[in-house]
Amino acid sequence: MDHLTWLTFLPLIGAALVLLTPSSAAQAQRMIALATTLAVAVLGVMIYRDFDSSILGAQQVVSIPWFEIRGGPAIRYTLGIDGISLLMVALTSLLMPIVILSTWGHIDKRVKEFMVWMLVMETGMLGVFLSLDLVLFYFFWEISLIPLYFMVGIWGGERRIYATIKFFLYTLAGSLVMLVAVIAMLYQFNSADIPTLTELAAALPADKQGWLFAGFALAFAIKVPVMPFHTWLADAHTEAPTSGSVVLAGVLLKMGTYGLLRFCIAMFPAAAVQWAPLFMVLGAAGIVYGAFLAMAQNDLKRLVACSSVSHLGYVILGMFALTSAGLQGGVLQMVSHGMSTGMLFLLVGMIYERRHTRALDEFGGIAHSMPLFAIFLVIAVLSSAALPGLNGFVGEYLILKGAFDANQTLAIVGVLGVIFGSVYLLVATRRVLFGPLNKRENRELLDLNAREIATLAPIVLFIVWIGVAPTPFLNKSQGAVDVIVRRCDEARALKLATVTADPADAAANLTTPTRR
Amino acid sequence: MNPQSILTLFDDNALRAMGPLLALAAGALLVLLAGIVPILGSARGLIVMATLGVTAALQIDHWRDPIGPVLDATYMADKGTAAFGLMFVAATLLAWLYSVHYYKEDRPFQGEHDFLMLVTPLGMTMMAGAQDLLVFFVGLEVLSIPLYALAAFRRNRLRSVEAGMKYFLLGAFAAAFFLYGAGLIYMASGSVTFSDLRGAATHSPLFQAGVALVMASVFFKVSVFPFHLWVPDVYEGSPTPVTALMATGTKAAAFAFLLNAAFLIPPVQSTLVVAIAVITMAVGNLGALMQKDVKRMLAYSGIAHAGTILLVLAGYMNGDILRGAAFDAAVFYLGAYVFTAAGAFGLLAVLEQSDHPVTTFESLKGLAQRRPYVAAAMTLFMLSLGGIPATGGFLGKWFVFSVSYRSGFVAATILGALLSVVGMAYYLRVIVAMYMQPESKDAGPREAQAPGLPMACATAVCVVFVIAMGVMPNLFLDRLP
Repeated sequence: MDHLTWLTFLPLIGAALVLLTPSSAAQAQRMIALATTLAVAVLGVMIYRDFDSSILGAQQVVSIPWFEIRGGPAIRYTLGIDGISLLMVALTSLLMPIVILSTWGHIDKRVKEFMVWMLVMETGMLGVFLSLDLVLFYFFWEISLIPLYFMVGIWGGERRIYATIKFFLYTLAGSLVMLVAVIAMLYQFNSADIPTLTELAAALPADKQGWLFAGFALAFAIKVPVMPFHTWLADAHTEAPTSGSVVLAGVLLKMGTYGLLRFCIAMFPAAAVQWAPLFMVLGAAGIVYGAFLAMAQNDLKRLVACSSVSHLGYVILGMFALTSAGLQGGVLQMVSHGMSTGMLFLLVGMIYERRHTRALDEFGGIAHSMPLFAIFLVIAVLSSAALPGLNGFVGEYLILKGAFDANQTLAIVGVLGVIFGSVYLLVATRRVLFGPLNKRENRELLDLNAREIATLAPIVLFIVWIGVAPTPFLNKSQGAVDVIVRRCDEARALKLATVTADPADAAANLTTPTRR
Repeated sequence: MNPQSILTLFDDNALRAMGPLLALAAGALLVLLAGIVPILGSARGLIVMATLGVTAALQIDHWRDPIGPVLDATYMADKGTAAFGLMFVAATLLAWLYSVHYYKEDRPFQGEHDFLMLVTPLGMTMMAGAQDLLVFFVGLEVLSIPLYALAAFRRNRLRSVEAGMKYFLLGAFAAAFFLYGAGLIYMASGSVTFSDLRGAATHSPLFQAGVALVMASVFFKVSVFPFHLWVPDVYEGSPTPVTALMATGTKAAAFAFLLNAAFLIPPVQSTLVVAIAVITMAVGNLGALMQKDVKRMLAYSGIAHAGTILLVLAGYMNGDILRGAAFDAAVFYLGAYVFTAAGAFGLLAVLEQSDHPVTTFESLKGLAQRRPYVAAAMTLFMLSLGGIPATGGFLGKWFVFSVSYRSGFVAATILGALLSVVGMAYYLRVIVAMYMQPESKDAGPREAQAPGLPMACATAVCVVFVIAMGVMPNLFLDRLP
């Protein structure tokens, strides 16, 4: 079998192995899960190494006939990887062992089921990023819903059932509307191959693209979540167990932004050009709104969840600037956010395991009792607040640069968001770490143990690595992003050409060529 | 028609076409005989399985080598009939396997029970192969009368008797509607055979009134709005294996006839059919959302699924291009539904047998800890009913939506998609109860009784088919006519 198939289904094999163990053998189940995810990570690194940045389209493609429907296209099992999916796959495969390692601390009942769901989830996520067949993509897209539903529902907090059903139904509603759009695509073009469809759909007139764009965009916007759809996220994050939150923030939400990029923007550039201002506004609104929400939280985990809304606002803002810088920034920010927010959730989990509370006013002065924890928290916070030299800065800088080219007002709003972001992050850090150590429980806290350091250290490595030398990472995605930018430029030019019939509009378009 | 010409009708082809029906009839009579002949008595289970096995083999033979219209073109033995015939065999086999250890106090009447159960696929196959309104009617009655008796089979339980009575009275009404409609059609066109009706003047009001009455009667059997009101009570009151048979076999048989008789409905009425389909989905899904009893919930879910499948009919009416795809979608959807719903009802039978006499959401709590395999299989069936990928339910739903989209009903497709989100809400509740809520304290003592070999086998078959249809649909799609 080829590498990509192994990569995708290795976790499933691990899940089957875990299923074979007796329920009481918790340690064995953990070790199997860890070994599997580590093997996937090694495979992921190998695939990353073998990736040839000079090829623009998908590479390492594997394609096998799957099934055929009468009067419709042949559905194939097609996997492939390009610059954008490469980074997502690398993020997923590297984050999963960390997530599994973190479960030692907080998953002590029904370990077997948890490990099975974690591994199934990894297969689902990798499948989403690697599928090059529309039906296969949809398969993995919906399958990846189920594990998190169980994770939140079984191992979650007080309101876990409400949160998990809300999460499931919200996402499913979007997905099923997407299903209709998928059906429309399949029969319009009689193909299910994503690269082929991308070529064909881009040639459609803008109004036809608009409907398909809307069908796909709704599903992805709910998943990200773009601003008006964000309410499920805060609940799901608050109730999820730490590891569930890390996967949710780290990878699952990226499926939404990845989908927006791969489908909405790349397939329907004309519609994307038309809808871009709306999405940029929603992105900018999300940045500020998420930041204000975060400021108002007393629950540390909810605060991180709200910051997630804010950070994903940047990704949306950058991507829909539809410029090279904006898209590259968006892609890199997807990776960075996975790391910094994932790490924040891990840290919140660690303190929660010790204190069984996440209320900000229960803490204070913890830097004295847990110096190592303090160091890691400060690194995570600074990465999240986009300190130059750490990963968050590179992505946000590129995003803001791209947004500035497209829409200066919104870029300024985005910059304000950076300030708000620093405010809530630094205020929360101060309230947790510094000040007088006046609570007895906080004085007796144990500092991080070796396992916890082992979960955090790899993330710190990448936070600094991407922050100091982002170019190798950006080079990987440059080719794929360039293709998308070229499509958008063509669509924009076409739109301009049709508008030029009206001289007044043409003049307006000439003065601000990329603004609408 | 003189006796001589009737004899010439029964040529070799006709005998071969009647093979599955004759096998079922013979097997059923043998089962009845087994009740009084002591030697045969212990082999009753074997007879049932052998009968179904022989029937399946004959249907596969028809599949490989279709016969075409026989008996003066009143019965069709083609690949389509064979496909449905196999589905009926599967439904009956599953319902029967679940029934073996289900009854406790009524065990002495197991012989009659098995006889009645074995007669139903005979009726269903006739319904699916009928190319004539009267042949269909005979099939319908051969199916319905055993089901009336089976619904009331737990005669010392009030609910079961009520279910049988209700089903019988309303079924009798529906039958009368059908006959009246067939009579009107005969008056208008002078025939009740499809081959004659195809060229007949379908525009006369008399004819159309007849078609409306016939369709109303069939919609009653498929449980489509506004003829669905009997479903929850009858499904809930009947013995659960019988419910499984009703929900899967009857629905598929009536739908097979709808596909054959779709040409009777004027194409302009396809909008009406789609409207009925959407309303049925809404009624079923919203009704299911409010239930406390899982069996009743599944009854409403069955109504919702009947609505979904009705979307195909509109595509089928809409022209020849879509006919093939619509047929595939209908067969695949119904096939997946047979295994999913039979499995879900069957597991309820397993639970009723040992856990609790009634299956409320309350009684499902903590099931994943008590009986992990039952809970896992139930989860799979719920996900398939909800249409989540890697299950047959998803692909079935997708094919149906493809057909309705391609026949131009985009709004109905989107509505259907959104209504299946509502559907998922109550399927999730089952999973929530089983996996995410602790066992309730006042549930009383429970004996964790093993389900027994037949029930375990039936469930395993359902699980394998639901997954295989979801992951390797080519195994089934490539073989469709």
